[in-house]
Amino acid sequence: MELTITQENFARALSAVGRVASSKTGLPILSNILLRTDNNRLLVAATNLEVATTQYIGAKIAKSGAITVPARLISEFVSSLPKDSIDLKVVNNNIHISSGKFKSIINGVIADEFPELPTINEESSISYTINTDDFKQAVSQTIITASSDSTRPVLTGVYWHSHEGQLYLAATDGYRLSERRLVETKSEVSAIIPVQSLQEVLRTIVEDSDTVDILFDETQVRFRINEAEIISRLVDGNFPDYRQLIPAKSDISATVNKQEFVRVTKIAGLFARESGGSVTLTVDADTKSVSLHSIASEYGENTSELSAEATGSGQVTLNSRYLAEALSVIEGDTLEFSFTGKLSPCILKSVVKDVNYYHVIMPLKS
Amino acid sequence: MNALWQSVLGEIELSVSHATFTTWYKNTELISQDEEELVISVPNIFAKKQFEVKFNDQVKKVLAKNGVEPKRITYTIIVAGKKTRINRETTLNNNDNVSQLLASQPSTSPLTLGRPTSGLSVTGNLNPRYTFDNFIVGSSNDLAYTASQAVAANPGMKYNPLYFYGGVGLGKTHLMQAVGNEIIKNNPNAKVLYVSSETFVNEFLDYIRFKKKGFSDKYRNIDVLIVDDMQFIANKEKTQEEFFHTFNFLHQNNKQIIISSDKPPRSIPTLTERLRSRFEMGMSIDVQMPDFETRCAILSAKASLSGVELNTETVEYLATNIKTNIRELEGALNQLLAYAELHNIEPDITTAEGLLGNVRHSRPQHLTSKQIIDRTAKHFQLATEEMCSEKRDKHIVIPRQIAMYLLRSELHLSFPKIAGELGRKDHTTAIHSVEKIEKAIKLDFVIREQVASIREKLYA
Repeated sequence: MELTITQENFARALSAVGRVASSKTGLPILSNILLRTDNNRLLVAATNLEVATTQYIGAKIAKSGAITVPARLISEFVSSLPKDSIDLKVVNNNIHISSGKFKSIINGVIADEFPELPTINEESSISYTINTDDFKQAVSQTIITASSDSTRPVLTGVYWHSHEGQLYLAATDGYRLSERRLVETKSEVSAIIPVQSLQEVLRTIVEDSDTVDILFDETQVRFRINEAEIISRLVDGNFPDYRQLIPAKSDISATVNKQEFVRVTKIAGLFARESGGSVTLTVDADTKSVSLHSIASEYGENTSELSAEATGSGQVTLNSRYLAEALSVIEGDTLEFSFTGKLSPCILKSVVKDVNYYHVIMPLKS
Repeated sequence: MNALWQSVLGEIELSVSHATFTTWYKNTELISQDEEELVISVPNIFAKKQFEVKFNDQVKKVLAKNGVEPKRITYTIIVAGKKTRINRETTLNNNDNVSQLLASQPSTSPLTLGRPTSGLSVTGNLNPRYTFDNFIVGSSNDLAYTASQAVAANPGMKYNPLYFYGGVGLGKTHLMQAVGNEIIKNNPNAKVLYVSSETFVNEFLDYIRFKKKGFSDKYRNIDVLIVDDMQFIANKEKTQEEFFHTFNFLHQNNKQIIISSDKPPRSIPTLTERLRSRFEMGMSIDVQMPDFETRCAILSAKASLSGVELNTETVEYLATNIKTNIRELEGALNQLLAYAELHNIEPDITTAEGLLGNVRHSRPQHLTSKQIIDRTAKHFQLATEEMCSEKRDKHIVIPRQIAMYLLRSELHLSFPKIAGELGRKDHTTAIHSVEKIEKAIKLDFVIREQVASIREKLYA
């Protein structure tokens, strides 16, 4: 293998795939990055056997071939080089990298040892092309409510599924739940994508990418963003039928200014160290107000109030961290939260014509 | 069908690296087989691709060796343990249970935030500091060490249960945790649970009192159970019964059990017979006080961990003066190092002597021969006069010999002096007695225990 590429392209590709290469698995080769010529491009790839990321970069290929090299060493070396062209040459399983006055030889391992990268049959798969901004927003909105508890694997991913002609994303950790409607769909989809894979996709999205191409088959999913590809396994199992958990109607609701609500939540959170970070929200229809009360017996307590359009009066106690996280992903200037009683789910959503995102938080038993 | 695939795997295992085998070939199964086609299940898309592209030829070759030559081999993705998982998820799909999916959080402890309240998750709670690498082996604990390593290499197969006993601060916990850490290192998916017997008792009580769920799941859904300080459940009958069932369940499923206690099973009087016999069916090993050389090795190793090289003189001084347990040994060393650092002086023997004055205040400054004889007599419930008398009944002779041995080993008295202390005229009696006990300590468990126990009392 012998080729010339630019430092910028190579460094970017290495840093994009390098995160996936890990030494945590039992197979030592997985801490290496695969470099392989592909016509007039260089393929840079890494995998941890959950997800595989690949980047194609343009290169002047003198001699085709392939090699794997330790991810950290080559990434750090290439990113330290000045912006210039880099010559790569493989001699006896060692890769000679030279750029101007800098020359290194890195010991590699033959590419044959590297796991075969999964491929997906484009014809038999379901495909979507999604605007990058929508994709980023939808994924960030749902990923936060996914579980990290590996004893319930189906909850450790985001559930992409079709429902009444729409593609939905949903995730829950058992204490909160989020659902986001994404695009119209004619196909039937039901796939749980691991959180880690989605995080990898989010990181791979760069400024100049307009769309994300998604391809599902039975057991895997592929995301394509410009020249980058991420292939992930799907979580096996059935996602619980969460829809029946979202109450259709609530007795008590309040519409508030989001900015103000974010502020009082943050303040209440400071005092919410007692009893599991709990804040108690009181809605009062008579005074048209919502008040947040939190107490830390060692430090003190706090009550903040904000004006609201309220229907019904009542109290609910929520985890302040969950509340703050929900507010950070809900769009719009005004939002509505509603609940029925102390132990029934509390629903948060933006006040717009076409609501596409619901966030549900279970109250704390107080 | 399974036998065929087993033999294929067995052959392939020999020809590929261990990592390759565990990554790719484990969790594969032969699903169906006819003349046309052979279907093999693999755990994920990565394995599927790898088999299709890279391993197919090898699999074909080995199959042919076993007399099977299908026209084609198909690889299909089936997740290992899918059956059980599907069961669990389908129950989640039942209407009643979905409503439990989103649960109100108990607001008591912030620690449980975002965690399932069932207590199902097995947290290792092993201390990663305890490994085999930093365990110092001497003649007093080499058997325990070797057995531990054997267990760590083949959990559940050899020495099950593994039972350690011995005094405080001799390294039982270190060894047990090292086994756990080693098993996790070899197989990151292994579920190792380390609990003190107190935790077991408390959780059992919660289980009874509050009908808390997940108790038997927690203890039965694991690969290795390590219980520290078993003696504390000795007088709790119900807990023993529960532990008995847990024990049987794990043992029958070839799960490794490791137990520590301060006494061997048969010396814990309130332990029920059925537990005692079970504890004895594996391997019981006593962990003893390390000898002088081992103590020196421990001190040097600990000191160099703190980045200090102690000279031999100082090490020997500390090792000579602290004989009770390793914890105390470490304590004295830490005290010495801290003192030296604070005053910016060398941690040498002079400093050690100055300091050890402190350490030794807590115990008799000087043992006297009378103390040794009295202690020994008391231990065997004899009168001191009897010990020193002419009587040669067996129940007096052995204690007398032990007393002589202790006088020699602890006070380094001369043989004529030893004989004199016990009312003998002839010093050859003393020589004979000391030699006899020295030998017996190596061979006879009862004597060894008694000597250790008297020695412990002397320095307590």
